[in-house]
Amino acid sequence: MLLLKILALGPMNGFAVSQRLKQVSGDVLQMSDGSLYPALHKLEQEGWITAEWKTSEYGRRAKYYSLTRLGRRQLEKETDNWSRLSSAISRVIKLKEA
Amino acid sequence: MRPEHWLFTIPLRLRSLFRRAQVDQELDDELRDHLERKTEEYMAQGLTQGEARRRAQLDLGGVEQTKEKCRDARRVNWIQDLIQDLRFALRMLRKSPGFTSVVVLTLALGIGANTAIFSVIDGVLLTPLPYKNPQQLVAMKPNDALMNLIDVERQAQTFSQGGAINVDEVDYTSGAQPVQVRAGSVNAGFLETLGVAPMLGRIISPDEDVKGARRVVDVSYSFWQNFLDGDPHALGKTLRLGGYDYTLIGVMPADFVLPREHADIFVSLQVADPGAASQRGVHFMHSYWRLKPGATLAQAQAEMLAVDRRLSEQYPDTERDRGETLVALREMVTGNVRPALLILFGAVGFVLLIACANFAGLLVARAASRRQEMVIRTALGAEKFRLIRQALTESVVLSLTGGLAGLLLARWGTALLLSLKPAALARFSSISIDVRVLAFVLGISLLTGIVFGIAPAWCMARADFAQSMKEGGRTATAGRSGHLLRSVLVTAEFALALILLVGSGLLLKTFSRLRSVNPGFNPQNITTIYMQLPLTRYKEIPRQTQFRRQLLAGLNSLPGVKAAMITDIPFGGNYVGHAVVIDGRPPLPVGSEPDAQTVSVMGDYFHVMQIPVRAGRIFTEMDREGQPLVVVVNEQFVKQFFPHENPLGARIDWARSDPPRKWMTIVGVVSDVRHLDLSQPQDPAVYTPFSQSHEVWRHFMTLAIRSSRPTGDLAADVKREVWNIDRQIPVSLVQSMDERMADSLAQQRFNMWLLGLFAALALILAAIGIYGLMSYAVSQRTHEIGIRVAIGAQRRDVLGLVVAEGTKLALFGIVVGVVFALILTRFMTSLLFEVAPTDPLTFFGVALLLALTGLLACYIPARRAMRVDPMVALRYE
Repeated sequence: MLLLKILALGPMNGFAVSQRLKQVSGDVLQMSDGSLYPALHKLEQEGWITAEWKTSEYGRRAKYYSLTRLGRRQLEKETDNWSRLSSAISRVIKLKEA
Repeated sequence: MRPEHWLFTIPLRLRSLFRRAQVDQELDDELRDHLERKTEEYMAQGLTQGEARRRAQLDLGGVEQTKEKCRDARRVNWIQDLIQDLRFALRMLRKSPGFTSVVVLTLALGIGANTAIFSVIDGVLLTPLPYKNPQQLVAMKPNDALMNLIDVERQAQTFSQGGAINVDEVDYTSGAQPVQVRAGSVNAGFLETLGVAPMLGRIISPDEDVKGARRVVDVSYSFWQNFLDGDPHALGKTLRLGGYDYTLIGVMPADFVLPREHADIFVSLQVADPGAASQRGVHFMHSYWRLKPGATLAQAQAEMLAVDRRLSEQYPDTERDRGETLVALREMVTGNVRPALLILFGAVGFVLLIACANFAGLLVARAASRRQEMVIRTALGAEKFRLIRQALTESVVLSLTGGLAGLLLARWGTALLLSLKPAALARFSSISIDVRVLAFVLGISLLTGIVFGIAPAWCMARADFAQSMKEGGRTATAGRSGHLLRSVLVTAEFALALILLVGSGLLLKTFSRLRSVNPGFNPQNITTIYMQLPLTRYKEIPRQTQFRRQLLAGLNSLPGVKAAMITDIPFGGNYVGHAVVIDGRPPLPVGSEPDAQTVSVMGDYFHVMQIPVRAGRIFTEMDREGQPLVVVVNEQFVKQFFPHENPLGARIDWARSDPPRKWMTIVGVVSDVRHLDLSQPQDPAVYTPFSQSHEVWRHFMTLAIRSSRPTGDLAADVKREVWNIDRQIPVSLVQSMDERMADSLAQQRFNMWLLGLFAALALILAAIGIYGLMSYAVSQRTHEIGIRVAIGAQRRDVLGLVVAEGTKLALFGIVVGVVFALILTRFMTSLLFEVAPTDPLTFFGVALLLALTGLLACYIPARRAMRVDPMVALRYE
């Protein structure tokens, strides 16, 4: 879900994804580079993201991932699920002894 | 998943499948790009280029591992992996032809033997009988008279239909030469009950199955081919059978076989032999019944009991001891061969297990020697699961190749099996390699490859750095676990081999016991010829006697020929029993008089057959019609009916003969002969002179001719002599007594050869197994042995070291095998003759043989170990 969300911001390459992930989550959620790429490939195979080779700003060829229509739908679904779950959890946590 | 989804994913999968190189290249580029950026980032943080690069790589956690994970994400990877594994497996196997050929050969033997036996089992036990709804058919045992069967059919409610048949020789004289054919005397229900439709024409109808009806005949496909040239317009033709003219009304289909015997023609018993049809006491018909839908065998049997009780009350003189039992037709047809086949299947299963144990052993050995390779693969990013999969692919490729070779062996083996002519299998024409057999081979090969490949694969894949560090130099002994596994396998092989050897040893002993049974006569140089006199022209005993006498006189005038005749010759498969009464004994209740085998002889039968005379005299020329009635009995007769008296001079008669009593005097006692087969002692028997017989219906006879001339040569002479007297009598059933006796042992010979073959295979495989293990152990321990020799071990010590280890395994296997064999051989009891299933001599001999084989197989590698030169050995690594 996190990867999908990050990619929802716009197409980016694997390196940028890893940077952005570190950045936004404030180093709380660390995903090793070793797991990042297999995860991206999995999402690609599911059809949720698509990849294309582009020449980057520094004249380097890089693989850019972007969200597909399917991926967007999947992201909405997962976001919904997550907010429902997290709100449920937070309600439970906030319970006080009656 | 939604179809919409597939729209995206399928092209992706196809791309990763077929544009693999490109996809891999992209993956490569992507990761390299990532590393470069990461390195730049670290350098920007002030690290040196080298340090930055190392950090970047560490973050990624191993480039190759990451790549492999990414490839796994592609989902279709398994197909690629499979193809890759297959390619690799084939390459590996090609590179080690020795290993490959040993494994394939081992498996081919195991799988081939199994397939051959399975194809027989498939044809005999699994293929449905070729009748309509065969599961509804039951057979009645023992035989019964037609009159009783008609009563059964009338009274029983559980049968929808029933039919009976008796097959006998009959002369067919419409052809170029008179021949004997096998005639099935049936009732109208017989062919209908089996539910087989004729290929041409129709079957005998109920109104053609009554006394005095028009004579009509159905013929078999082979009769139609052989004697009617397959003429499609043959219906309506007249065929002369047993002296009567019959009209051909139908031809049966080519694949039609009777449940028990073979018949060329089918006629109504009521029409062909009204006398026999109306007799109640003579039980000679096989009967088959079709259960009504929903009726069970148990219900039918219960009903049968009630019918039998009524019949025995109604006809006490002939039907007193009725006890008809019903068995499923399949059971009756396959009952004789089933135990032997199942035992053989079990045995051949053991052979396969041994072959598999060898297979697994070889794989383990190979796994050990490929440990380095596996370590490198692991280092390069291979996961354990992938390694196991690859090893399994190799073993499955091997086992499938073995299975394929086994299939070829099986084709050849099945032909060999059937050429051994086991009588009980003779009528199963459907034994061939069909789809079911192919499925069996495929299944068993895959199973072998996977089940016996998994342990070695596990061994192989478990290799890790730490262990390889310890063992990598191969300085010490071989991998402990691999060696232990192989030792267990070799022990199991010896145990299995012992079981098989014991089984075949017992059969061998059975066979030699049977062979050494004295049949009670001298079968050498005896030729037997069966013939019968057509009742149309030989209706009276004097006519029959005249023919017989004239024929014997003619034959005995030939040089070097001594001929006699008897109604039913030993090993001819038939005999007639009559109830006997003894003069001067208190009369027994009607129906419970003792039975004796009754045969008539003419000529010097006892001398021709060389049956020893025990007391009194044998028949002379003077014992003929018009003279006092005399009989000769056998020793068994004396033992049962005159245990403490002199039988000579006592008088007997047939309990069922027409009054008044015509007492026959016992004038001699001859020794017993084996009549049906070698394993059964003869029943009490009464011999009478043919010329004093009253039984016109016994118009058949078998010539027994003692001559050193070849059988075929003799047959030509006999034919000429017979045709001098009557040109219409066929002389076609010629067989030497040796052949008859050999045929009677065919089933035992079949069992013995087969189990013997399997046991030999097992022995060889077990020997190869232990040889392989010890050779490998020696080669692994060359270094150790070198040290031992260097510090003063004698060659003898080294020899002892290796041999002791191997022998320990063999002996352990033998002990385990003996325990299991003691349990398993009990199931063989039905196949044995005068041998206990726990025969100590067999067990001991087999154990010794196996132990010696093990010793020999260990000795060869042990000698190699003995010759190890310490200098060479220490430099070995």
